[in-house]
Amino acid sequence: MQCGWLHSGPQLWLRCVHRQVRVTAGKQREEHSGWLLTVDPVSHSVALVSFGEVGASVRVVLGHAVEHVEVLQEPDPDTEERLRSLLPPPETGGPDPDERFRRRSRVRRWLQQNRVPVEEDGNELRVARVLTIRSPYRPDDCSSANQIILDRVQRLLRVQPDQVPDGPVPPGTSDGL
Amino acid sequence: MATPVPVLRLPKGPDPNSRGFDPNSPRFIALCRTSIPTSAAAESDPQQLQEEQHARSVLRESFLRCLLAMSNKKVRFHMHEKVNVEATFGASDIDVLNFQVSDLHTPIGVQKEALIRSQDVISFTFDV
Repeated sequence: MQCGWLHSGPQLWLRCVHRQVRVTAGKQREEHSGWLLTVDPVSHSVALVSFGEVGASVRVVLGHAVEHVEVLQEPDPDTEERLRSLLPPPETGGPDPDERFRRRSRVRRWLQQNRVPVEEDGNELRVARVLTIRSPYRPDDCSSANQIILDRVQRLLRVQPDQVPDGPVPPGTSDGL
Repeated sequence: MATPVPVLRLPKGPDPNSRGFDPNSPRFIALCRTSIPTSAAAESDPQQLQEEQHARSVLRESFLRCLLAMSNKKVRFHMHEKVNVEATFGASDIDVLNFQVSDLHTPIGVQKEALIRSQDVISFTFDV
């Protein structure tokens, strides 16, 4: 492929994915070759993979620096398989509903024992109506516009013990549902 | 271990109304286009448009997974004038214009948190 690469559409890029390419980048015209993982349609950045003895390294060349891209060869089935399994989809955090319910209850009880006003809202937990905790209810799943409450709740979740004791919940707090 | 360099005073951010950060200014449009436009061929043919959109979404999804795989990992940035720095990747913005990193090792010390402009970076590498 010649310099038209940058101006050709996503369909061409998609066809070149998983092939071995050589990218010339930057004013110094550095050359990098590797297996094409993907091309970002927004920034035209090119992601290349090189396999080493242990694992793989990925080089992303920013779109504005790409001068020239040349396709070298097609991948063999082994390499193709390795490329496909390189970036697994992130864990969706969608365990079965029972597990989700148990986790949610554990987190809710923990927060209530620490005198944090929390309610269940469908699959989410709502704290003081300003913070939301999505499945699977880890510290990183909290979202809020209030930084202080976010910080406090995240700290609490980080020290949550694996087994939340079934101790008494402070009066005035509902028991879920 | 390198001690973090304290930031004495953060630089004042750009004035949002001044030249260069006006989304309609020629400089912004030239440097920071958000996305490639639909190709002329696809604009006229809905079938082609759909195919092009599908291709775009597959490519973008792969790229986003790539960025996700990078988070909290050590990344080496290769910048202009053969400057290479290492940092722990935090996040990128939607247009891939800025990268938020932590523990940026620079020749003058370690910056605890930093924002790197994508214009300054030629390529970056990380190990999977």
